[in-house]
Amino acid sequence: MEIRKLLFVTKFEELGFDALQSLLTLRNAHLEHVVFMNVIERDEVAMQRGLGYKRSEAVRLRERANIRFIDWAEDLFEQGMEVGVYIVVGNLIPQVIIAAEKEDADLIVIGCRDQSKLEMFYSGSDITELLKRSERPVLVYKPMARSGIVLEKPFEKPLLAVDGSPASLRAVQYIEKLKNVVNEVHLLYVASPKELKGTSNLNIQQLRKEKRKELEKVSEGLEDKGIRTRSHVYIGDTVEEIERAARECQSTIIVMGSSGRASWIERWIGSTPRTIAERSPFPTLIIPYQGD
Amino acid sequence: MGKKILVVDDDPDVRLFTQAVLEENGFTPLMANNGEEGEQMVKRQKPDLIVLDILMPKESGIRLYRKLKTDKEFKDIPVVVLSGIAEKSFLRSQKVLTEFGGDPVPEPEAYMEKPVDGDVLAETIKKVIG
Repeated sequence: MEIRKLLFVTKFEELGFDALQSLLTLRNAHLEHVVFMNVIERDEVAMQRGLGYKRSEAVRLRERANIRFIDWAEDLFEQGMEVGVYIVVGNLIPQVIIAAEKEDADLIVIGCRDQSKLEMFYSGSDITELLKRSERPVLVYKPMARSGIVLEKPFEKPLLAVDGSPASLRAVQYIEKLKNVVNEVHLLYVASPKELKGTSNLNIQQLRKEKRKELEKVSEGLEDKGIRTRSHVYIGDTVEEIERAARECQSTIIVMGSSGRASWIERWIGSTPRTIAERSPFPTLIIPYQGD
Repeated sequence: MGKKILVVDDDPDVRLFTQAVLEENGFTPLMANNGEEGEQMVKRQKPDLIVLDILMPKESGIRLYRKLKTDKEFKDIPVVVLSGIAEKSFLRSQKVLTEFGGDPVPEPEAYMEKPVDGDVLAETIKKVIG
């Protein structure tokens, strides 16, 4: 689960070289190879009545991407890194999956375009499709789209959402591998109000105590690996509380496990990673778990 | 049969162009899509010269060049780099990789930045290959 090779998918508007540079902290976690990818979507060069395939437009877009990637690649090559490139015409997510397989990428990094609710409703979301289809970890990076700031060290202070499921424990293992780039991990369990066995303060305290105990086991494992941790139990709506915790803990990234296609069964896994990945202003790292 | 020239480039347009130039000048072109394929072709075909791109999927020309030039069997095959990547960046990257603990490698026999004129490419290859 080391991150040796990263597939950096960009349309340039949402993810630039500054975003990539911030991810180079992963070199401390064995990153040595970056593969750039730009997908020219079919509708940009599609057949139109009387016009046919706009080959010259495809060439123009390809060259535009190529020139940028050459510029970025020179910088990385000079740092001793290995660099590859894919510029293809097609549908974004299927092409990303194909390239990730061909390259055997350890991490897919993709930007998140701001979509209106109406647009999401009608066209669905690339992020949702990628999270459903990818068997590899996906980092939905959002340095420019919403905050306008590129974090210098995005992995410095992760908020790790844990619920004891195999998927979330997989995410814990993933964080262990990042010990050289992580400074402090905030562990979070979000309890649903339904888990309360009563309405008194005592019930709430009891639930908090139980969940804290569960988190402590995870915490001890990470501390044994030399990673500093803090544990938190929040009660409420999962998505809202994860967001709230990330803000309060001044997290740099949200990390969650997901059991991929089977995910719609488990609670965390339901639609929480997808919703966080799409809507949260925080970069979101989703670790898939395929099960036994 | 002319001397075998292996072209390693992921761009089909460049492969087509280079193939035509090589055939017109009496060479036998061999084609590979990326560094990984290029390495296999070198082992199978033992070409007389390699025209090498740098920025490619699977394995870059930087790594392939380093592998070839540190391999006893292949280090004497001349390499003409044909790439959009600046020569300065190529040389710096090799220097850094050497500093990281790799073996030092010589500079390529020729370095040409894309796009290149067909006649200039042919002349360069002839000059290198002797």
